[in-house]
Amino acid sequence: MKHRTRLHSEQEQQQTVAENQARQTASREFATVEELLRHDAAQTTVPPGIARRLEKSIGQTQPLPQSWWKSLLGL
Amino acid sequence: MVKSPVDEPLLDEERPETRSLAPDFAQVYQEHSRAIYYLALRLLGDPQKAEDATHDVFLKAFRKLDQFRGQAAVRTWLYRIAINHCRNLQVTWHQRHVLSGADEAVWDHTAAPGDSPLRVLEIKELGRRIQTVLDALPEEYRLLLLLVADEELSYEEVGALTEQTCDAVRGKLHRARKLFAALFQKTE
Repeated sequence: MKHRTRLHSEQEQQQTVAENQARQTASREFATVEELLRHDAAQTTVPPGIARRLEKSIGQTQPLPQSWWKSLLGL
Repeated sequence: MVKSPVDEPLLDEERPETRSLAPDFAQVYQEHSRAIYYLALRLLGDPQKAEDATHDVFLKAFRKLDQFRGQAAVRTWLYRIAINHCRNLQVTWHQRHVLSGADEAVWDHTAAPGDSPLRVLEIKELGRRIQTVLDALPEEYRLLLLLVADEELSYEEVGALTEQTCDAVRGKLHRARKLFAALFQKTE
């Protein structure tokens, strides 16, 4: 029982250490607002659907220049 | 000029979705889509609206590509289209955010956290916190901070985009930083 309690306590300690390490990794300090915003922008992913929609919209507004599909087909 | 990760163009292999756009325009999209999407996201505060806006901005740019004479950098030109587009959307949706009940003079006399580092404990919540603060800022401050954060833009270009002098940009920027930092601390 005593052994079990000590094991449990050690596990708790290890868990706390792991949580603290994770928190330290997650926390960060930014010197300026701009730096904070740059970090936020760098973490932002552009949805891939925009390029697909754009391609479709461009295709609808004007016929594709020959060079486009030629280059696509490697001609 | 130091390039920020925001401006780092991705190679074709990393962005397969742009392969079928016209070669020149695909390059424009690759180099600037992140900056334009980010601006739209933080101005509009909604990922779906930002996606639509980014699509519309680049479509407008594509249609007017032959009118682009190179007096301004492509990035500045795209920003101008994006700012106008987002403003029109905000007017249409009646979603103009006004600094609610906050008097700028009050912030001018508060302790100046604008000069202190901004400490973030939970990175995963960062986007939500930034959006909350930006939404609470006057539109002019919000736009200034977002533009100045882009290292590719000079103060002159930011001034041109926001129709004011460099000195005015610097003065307002100081207050905008201060207000942002004060509000950011409150979001913890």
